[in-house]
Amino acid sequence: MLESDKGTLTTPPRMGGGLERWAERHLRILMLAPTVLILLALTIFPSLYMFYAAVHKISPNPDLPWQFVGPGNFARLLSDTQFHVALRNTAVFTIAAVTIEFLLGLGLALLLDRFIRRLTFLKTVLMIPMMLPPIAVAITWKIIYEPQFGVLNEIMFRLGLPLQAWAGDVNLAMFSIIVADVWQWTPFIFLLMLAGLASLPVEPYEAAVLDGASSWRQFWDLTLPFLKPVIAIALLLRVMDALRLFDLVFILTGGGPADRTKVLSLYIYQVAYRFADTGYAAAISLFVLFVTIVLSTWFMKRMRLAE
Amino acid sequence: MATIRTRSRRREMLLRLSAYLVILVALVLTLFPVYWIAANSFKFDIDIFAVPPEWLPRNPTLKHYEEAFIERPFLRYALNSLLVAAGTTIVSVAFGTMAGYALARFSYPWQWRKQVSFWILSTRMMPPIVSIIPLYLFFNYFEMLNTKSALIIAYTAFNLPFATWMMKSYFQDLPVELEEAAMVDGDTRWGAFLHVALPLARPGLAATAIFCLIISWNEFLLSLIITLTEQSQTLPIGIAGRVTQYKTHWGEISAAGFMACVPIVIFAFIVQKHLVRGLSLGAVKG
Repeated sequence: MLESDKGTLTTPPRMGGGLERWAERHLRILMLAPTVLILLALTIFPSLYMFYAAVHKISPNPDLPWQFVGPGNFARLLSDTQFHVALRNTAVFTIAAVTIEFLLGLGLALLLDRFIRRLTFLKTVLMIPMMLPPIAVAITWKIIYEPQFGVLNEIMFRLGLPLQAWAGDVNLAMFSIIVADVWQWTPFIFLLMLAGLASLPVEPYEAAVLDGASSWRQFWDLTLPFLKPVIAIALLLRVMDALRLFDLVFILTGGGPADRTKVLSLYIYQVAYRFADTGYAAAISLFVLFVTIVLSTWFMKRMRLAE
Repeated sequence: MATIRTRSRRREMLLRLSAYLVILVALVLTLFPVYWIAANSFKFDIDIFAVPPEWLPRNPTLKHYEEAFIERPFLRYALNSLLVAAGTTIVSVAFGTMAGYALARFSYPWQWRKQVSFWILSTRMMPPIVSIIPLYLFFNYFEMLNTKSALIIAYTAFNLPFATWMMKSYFQDLPVELEEAAMVDGDTRWGAFLHVALPLARPGLAATAIFCLIISWNEFLLSLIITLTEQSQTLPIGIAGRVTQYKTHWGEISAAGFMACVPIVIFAFIVQKHLVRGLSLGAVKG
């Protein structure tokens, strides 16, 4: 797509006044400029400003001047156990949630592809969870997890299993968050995998069948390699979303119990607004930004998404 | 031979049956939570707390809708959400469409097209939490905290890259020959975009706009930080505000939460043909 210079027609025959001619000549710049300028202002400027904030100690009192502390805030990252907990929780959540969503979504797509392809209405119904406001999803699961009158404990009771505090339980809190996330985002993987499967070429499979390849071999040698670009996009978007998890945790657990679900976004929020330690919050934010940039660049370069 | 065929036919039957069974289970699991929030919103408090749960509201009531939307300012929150979402969508789609068109059609020196596309996409990957501190300080400095314009500006940062990539992918699907023909007939380059490409891209434009509406309507974190007053807070913030450490107003948040979901479900059906492309930022064409 990229190499083709389609549309670079020059000098249209009829022209208006001087300004119009000037605009027409620089159209490719003028059409792109607003977006580039807005995004520069809203992303690059804040990032630079954050570097500035991160090397200062910023008092909650706005009248006090910022105090330069150099790399002090970054040094704190090394010794701050709360930060390490948040880092580990984010990693656990991201890896667990995205893995489960991916395996479930891919499995369902492989199983249902042939049967659901024409059932557009049904497919859209299955997609509803990921479109819903995360806050609505969070309160829905809050009602389901509620220990006293929640549905989940009713099911446990009927099955003769011990009742649980779910989101309020030290050992089950992270699990509860992951389940809610899996509920919301498995459809996303499922949908993208269905799209990938629908675009598979037929001929290689015909050849494979002639060669007597088992369906397992066909999956490993044909389906998976063909799906790779779609899988890469799906995983990239999911990982980036999982790293920014906030809403679910904010409503379901508030980071607790015992910091078991305190993720990076929530920790930054707490440092910045509860402890009013803006300089340090900026340092943590920069760390998260760094990780995101490294991960997403690696992903996008690998799959050549820009092409 | 005959036995083999019956066996494979039976296998096919079995596969079909299990597939439909899985679809059924998936449907139940998908829809139950949505049903449950709706069901709870129509129950009296005492029935919400019932053990075992009341699977169907026995005594349906609109009490919680009255509480939320008449006694408490949820109508205001919903209106704020709508205004902010509409503003963000207009800005993002207008600029995103032009940028998407430029990136799909024009050539730039030094591989700029590729670099700029890539950079725009990478801004979309930026976690919102990372930009809240500078945005907060920025809006604070310009005394824009608690305003809807601040929300529109902040949301645009996340919707504009999305709109650009979506529109880029739709424009790339259009044959360039039609625009060339218009220009041969005397239209300007801009005119060809406005009179030929844009009308053809209308379905994509509508889908992009609806996705922007959904993203903005659902957004929580930025609004949580930028707005503290009733006059500016959005629906998700209003809902979260009724979940406190001491008391959760179950009926009220169910009613408001369900109402927040209704437009989204309608939108989902409107854009169903564009879901794949929208959710993958135009990277996968469904």
